[in-house]
Amino acid sequence: MAKVIIYPTTSLILADLVDRMGHKALVAPEAVRDRVTNPEIKSPPLNITPEEPKKGLKYAAVDVPSGIRGRMALIGPLIEEADAGIILDDPGVLTGCAGCNRTNELVRLLIKTKGIPVLDLKYPRDDTEARGFVARIKAFLEGLK
Amino acid sequence: MRITKYIITSPESEVLPSDIAMRIYGSQHDINVKETCFGIIINGEEDEVADLIKEIRAMDPTGIFIKDRGFPPGDLRRCRGHRGGGARPGYYMIESESKLLPLISKALASEEKADPGPKETETIQKKRPISIKKLDEIIKEEIS
Amino acid sequence: MIRIAELACGAEYSGIQREIERAAETVGAKLVYPEVDLDDIINVEKKFGISVSSGDLNLAMARATRIVENPDLADAVIVMTCFRCAEAAIIRSEIRKYIHQNSKVPVLSYSFTERTTAETLLTRVEALVTTVKYRSLLAREKQTGITAGIDSGSTTTKSVIMRDNQVIGTGWVPTTDVIKSAEDAYNAALKASDLKADDIQAIGTTGYGRFLIGKHFNAKLTQEEITVNSKGAVFLANAQKGPATVIDIGGMDNKAIAVQDGIPGGFTMGGICAGASGRFLELTARRLGVDISELGKLALKGNYQNVAMNSYCIVFGTQSLVNSLSMGCKPEDVAMAACHSVAEQVYEQQLQEVDVKEPVVMVGGTSLVEGLPKAMEQLLGIKVIVPPYAQYIGAVGAALLVSGLLEA
Repeated sequence: MAKVIIYPTTSLILADLVDRMGHKALVAPEAVRDRVTNPEIKSPPLNITPEEPKKGLKYAAVDVPSGIRGRMALIGPLIEEADAGIILDDPGVLTGCAGCNRTNELVRLLIKTKGIPVLDLKYPRDDTEARGFVARIKAFLEGLK
Repeated sequence: MRITKYIITSPESEVLPSDIAMRIYGSQHDINVKETCFGIIINGEEDEVADLIKEIRAMDPTGIFIKDRGFPPGDLRRCRGHRGGGARPGYYMIESESKLLPLISKALASEEKADPGPKETETIQKKRPISIKKLDEIIKEEIS
Repeated sequence: MIRIAELACGAEYSGIQREIERAAETVGAKLVYPEVDLDDIINVEKKFGISVSSGDLNLAMARATRIVENPDLADAVIVMTCFRCAEAAIIRSEIRKYIHQNSKVPVLSYSFTERTTAETLLTRVEALVTTVKYRSLLAREKQTGITAGIDSGSTTTKSVIMRDNQVIGTGWVPTTDVIKSAEDAYNAALKASDLKADDIQAIGTTGYGRFLIGKHFNAKLTQEEITVNSKGAVFLANAQKGPATVIDIGGMDNKAIAVQDGIPGGFTMGGICAGASGRFLELTARRLGVDISELGKLALKGNYQNVAMNSYCIVFGTQSLVNSLSMGCKPEDVAMAACHSVAEQVYEQQLQEVDVKEPVVMVGGTSLVEGLPKAMEQLLGIKVIVPPYAQYIGAVGAALLVSGLLEA
């Protein structure tokens, strides 16, 4: 079973396909869960604590906006953990964890330059493309050791 | 560790979110269930959720989609009733992707029948910009 | 309950959403999020005029269009985005303008960092809520009876006594002990007006120390300085009807307020850089060996372009001024360069965030340093008014507003 970082890291379709094909999708909600349900954190934060943008300095400099560093504190460690990546090139409406495109650019860059196998895809627009979409993900995941 | 998942049915699936909820209520699993307009949210211990997901997927192997959620169901920090209306931001992505689920469902079904289909790149014919010379000719033609 | 629509990008991921909620709770407001559909986000460009690559900004714009279409959804709006994000800075400003131009809902715009706290936001949110809650009080144009206003600022404490729409006495002292300074300023104003404390029908307080002195003097009105200064400025400048822009460069922070019929419509408040405050002018005066009251007149004779300044900073900028003097620059040019530096920083960093409309009224103690309004005039290309009693603006506004509570 490989750990696969998906982009967008909140994609229902990619997370589902990776998991149903027997691998583990690395997704932002898991990182959020660690923070919002951790009983060790007193008064659990709404989403993340003000400490996260500081932790995000590992991925982006201090002159990068705080919202990017905060998001990177969630997503950066997932990229580090990944054995492979699947990237949607035209992901459409992105909000929340994926609502900042500067973060999204950095996420794609880090996935692509990590030196792991990466599959680039576009959302399907018809049945033929959808079959190609699923088949390529399947072939890609089967190729991972 | 307790985890939370969204279970979302394809709009064309014959299984309704309420069917899934009833199945869970009738099962032995210690799982919290919350029905929403687009699917259901389940919350329980990791292993138990994993077992349950297998059962749920079996109800419609190609028409039910599952993803993680950070907040437990009904969490006041996310509940729109408590937070002054408006969907939480991630909702719009689920709504946007839900529209594609029928396509993915059909593709998964044909995948099960080992029908590979053509490569997607072959179906896209890109238009290239015309040459400057050609454009120049057209301009002259149009304004003459 | 006042409903403030939060149109934000990055607040949760900067870890400050809870701080925004705390600030709202403190002033008795609730944050709301206008409902929009996915199609509203996808088609935002049709209504708003642009869509950008960051989805959360498109969501904020879609919510703004909902508010304009249905202003009953919110009583006020805060538009907040990450500091240093260019995409967000453009959209934040456009959302502010869009709501301001297309509805009567007051808007506050702010860019935050992970260090932003509820306390930083409090005065701003309080002012926003005041414009909604006390609209009828703010519509008041005349002072009646005998009332006093006390403005407990970070550097100075000011007090005025007003009777029948006239200022009849003033008091001004440097702020040391907050309550002691307020008493001294108040007593000086009473003495100047030949009245006793018993003659005063109501007291209004404002400024940093407003809560403390408000309690001490049993004030009928304790109000943040954005609302109060707007009111005081348009009253003294005789610009109570129609638009006006109020600029207040203070000892610790600056305010730029777009006013419509005496009510703040949009405003910014900056407060981290001493180089854009009265302190910079004080330091320059000291370096030049002149009293602060003389600096302005000196500056009027000078030309800022004769002095090379490479920083707005109170440390490095002042260094430039000292270097210029050692290289033979004239003191009047240095004085004007200091005024220009402060004005330019306020112009660049704050006036871009409000719609500058005439008349432009400069208030606060720094407006008496004549070079400063002159420098602002040069930058804006429009006439800047400094009304009488400009340094007492907060106290006048408080005395005027509190008189509205006498009849209640």
